[in-house]
Amino acid sequence: MSETSPSENRANAALIGTRVVLAKVGLDGHDRGVKVVARGLRDAGFHVIYSGLWQSPEAVAQIVADEDAAWLGISLLNGAHLTLIPRVVAALHHIGRADVGLIVGGIVPPADIPTLKAAGVRLVFGPGTTIDEITQALSPPPETPLDLDLLCKQSHQHDHVSIARLLTAASSARDGEAIRTRFAATDPQATTMRRIAVTGSPGVGKSTLIAGLIKSFRQRSSCRLAVLACDPQSPVTGGALLGDRLRMADSVPHDNLFIRSLATPSGLQGLAPNLDVMERILAWSGFDLLIIETVGIGQGEIAVRELADQVVLVLQPQTGDSVQWDKAGLWELADLIVVQKCDLPGADGMLADLREHLTRADGSASPIIGVSSHTRAGWDQLITSLG
Amino acid sequence: MITAPSTAEGFPSAAPRASGSEGFLSAEDLAALNPPPVIGTPGEFPFTRGIHRSMYRGRLWTMRQFSGFGTAKDTNERFRFLLAQGQSGLSTAFDLPTLMGLDSDDPRSSGEVGRLGVAIDTVDDMLTLFQDIPLQDVSVSMTINAPAAVLMAFYLAAAEERGIPWDRLRGTIQNDILKEFHAQNEVVFPPKPSVRLVIDLIEFGARAVPQWNTVSISGYHIREAGATALQELAFTLSDGRHYVEETLQRGLPVDAFASRLSFFFNAHNDFFEEIAKYRAARRLWAELMQDEYGATEPASWKLRFHAQTAGCSLQSQQPDVNVVRVAYQAMAAVLGGCQSLHTNSLDETLALPSEQAVTLALRTQQVLAHETGVADHVDPLGGSYLVESLTQSMHTGARAYFQRIADTGGMLAAIEGGFFRREIAESAYLYQQQFDRGEHIIVGVNRYQSDEDVRPEIMSIDPDVETDQLASLRRVKNLRDISDVARTLDDVRRGAAAGENLLPLLIAAAHTRATLGEMMQALGDVFGTFRFAEQ
Repeated sequence: MSETSPSENRANAALIGTRVVLAKVGLDGHDRGVKVVARGLRDAGFHVIYSGLWQSPEAVAQIVADEDAAWLGISLLNGAHLTLIPRVVAALHHIGRADVGLIVGGIVPPADIPTLKAAGVRLVFGPGTTIDEITQALSPPPETPLDLDLLCKQSHQHDHVSIARLLTAASSARDGEAIRTRFAATDPQATTMRRIAVTGSPGVGKSTLIAGLIKSFRQRSSCRLAVLACDPQSPVTGGALLGDRLRMADSVPHDNLFIRSLATPSGLQGLAPNLDVMERILAWSGFDLLIIETVGIGQGEIAVRELADQVVLVLQPQTGDSVQWDKAGLWELADLIVVQKCDLPGADGMLADLREHLTRADGSASPIIGVSSHTRAGWDQLITSLG
Repeated sequence: MITAPSTAEGFPSAAPRASGSEGFLSAEDLAALNPPPVIGTPGEFPFTRGIHRSMYRGRLWTMRQFSGFGTAKDTNERFRFLLAQGQSGLSTAFDLPTLMGLDSDDPRSSGEVGRLGVAIDTVDDMLTLFQDIPLQDVSVSMTINAPAAVLMAFYLAAAEERGIPWDRLRGTIQNDILKEFHAQNEVVFPPKPSVRLVIDLIEFGARAVPQWNTVSISGYHIREAGATALQELAFTLSDGRHYVEETLQRGLPVDAFASRLSFFFNAHNDFFEEIAKYRAARRLWAELMQDEYGATEPASWKLRFHAQTAGCSLQSQQPDVNVVRVAYQAMAAVLGGCQSLHTNSLDETLALPSEQAVTLALRTQQVLAHETGVADHVDPLGGSYLVESLTQSMHTGARAYFQRIADTGGMLAAIEGGFFRREIAESAYLYQQQFDRGEHIIVGVNRYQSDEDVRPEIMSIDPDVETDQLASLRRVKNLRDISDVARTLDDVRRGAAAGENLLPLLIAAAHTRATLGEMMQALGDVFGTFRFAEQ
């Protein structure tokens, strides 16, 4: 029993912002432990990306690469650790992230621990572990100097690991300026990369809409797609639980799809810092389409206008959302308004209301489209409108 | 007095802790309860004190240890061992691929075949599983949910092929998909068609397999996922209500199926709280069945339940201590009036239980039944100031949750809005924080630790299981008539789209040796699939 409270132990500033991926692989559905650890690490200042259930080893390696994680925690209570962990290790090698700190949590017989360690696992945590024991075992990522030339070259060749490293560096105190200077000449507007921002209040279904867009755009051959998903960061601990990607990607990784979760401090208009530089990096890396998801605070998101070619505002019936957006005078920002869940009662009324209200002073109006992910209604029209 | 800790929203999430100002309650405290407790008489409405007048004096609870691993042949041997040890019912654990409706040869099953339970791909595996076991005499429980209708079809087809009439079959199929959406996560289809499958089985069973419990409405997994005792109680009974309401929609009178609904609760550490939970559950269910659903048969009012000791309370440090935990938890379940009981084995935080550990767990129940004397008395804690107060506050707290769920728009809206998962995750995290602060003492973990490294002998699964199972699946596939299989699977698709009861169609497919994965795929072609979107 420790004498200090956990929150006091968490005041380790060096750890704040350390990126950890927590993942469930295989068919095991036991997620109590992994969800508790995710919240515990968030409250200790980590930036935690949770994969959701039923991931393949390859998908987990892809998440580690895109998210530039320092640590990867795999939760297993299904007795399949000796089969699944070596596969995760192989997938990490294949993608070039064998350096990630691999942790296993769950039910592991003591006799199997040496085998797992020999396979590359650094730490194993069983039942009865405290959050403090875990946070104390996780060190910040090593401060290795960046080889900018090499990273730029490999990013240009679409190497996910290098792209992810550059994105991290763009916001780092040490390398941020160097990255900004390096990419000063890359103008996203001068490249072929299109930028779509998806905004709207929390819980309105932005990630679900993006999941649908990913699916539709990926059906076009060779479309290279990047997503920057902004999720809120705690103003108290600096920690964040970044959960958008688990609603976006299926468990099969694709080389042409890059998803990065970004912790977003409050007061930055719902956008992560240095997004402008990140856009340049992604444009340089040859993406055809970038989708930016805002935090969705619903106010003051005018900045997103500067960063996107098209702004999509997402609304949902029965939420009273439209009033809020109306008051804030933000309609005019949107090039397109999407009403989610238009199979719900009240959707028709909302659509009619919107169409009535929404004409700008100059007589122009943004298109309003109702969609449903249940019935797939409206999707063709949406995709056509987005070109 | 009694204080109910509240969540941020002002609703009780943890059970109230009765403690008079001096740590005890008295007759005045009981008299001051509003509404007053309904204590009643054992065997009489509302059954707070038990569903039978004589309880264990008439008949002991069923000792039913959950088991299953490897191939059907391996598990069949364990079943016969358990019956020989004096166990009175069988309980089948399926492996993860089976629980998720996948065949052993599906790429997603690789590494998990036969590992946490037995692998069942076709009716032939089901025949092997129960070979030489008289299904007309032994009650059989099957823990399966998303693919429950398919496994039931295998079981009924196997009974037909052995010439055992369905009305002689006794047992329970878990078939409770709602708690999968709340807590256990073994779901395949979206909520609506998933519930439809549950109701198909309830409806079919009521007509064709009259002695079979067609659903085991389960709080066990909700609790294991981190819920409090009150949440376990409230969410489980809410799930039960939803099944009743959906079955009534089919036009079945309530008394035609209600007596085949059974329940499954956790037996956790807090001794008196657990006993109060079971007593409140019986009373609530009796009231709901009579007042809200108009049941008139006493059998419809009685909440019958299986209990299992809390897996999540077991520790890997000093594993022998788990025997003691299990014994106390089992006693709570018995003092709470369970109908059947599973006691966990001491080595379950390390691996699947060894034969020796399973025997000790069963012996724990036998000591409880025959040596402690607790079985000689009916509801011995009835009238206790403490237990009656706790029972009453469980009752009130559960009613408040029912209202909250109704306010959210009912069961399916609450699921889609993430209500249950949020509530449970919140409690799990709260518990972890309390543990981290040392507010919960766990012997051998954060107090009374020992450096001695005790490692019980652990059961390991034969690595050949997967190969053996794949070979036997290949054999079955080679021998069947593929056009028969295709025809019956088309019927399943058609019936799924047309809203027919799917059991007869699944049984027909089972006879042609259609596999679990093929039948689930046929259903999925119509129903679609599901993924959790954590909030």
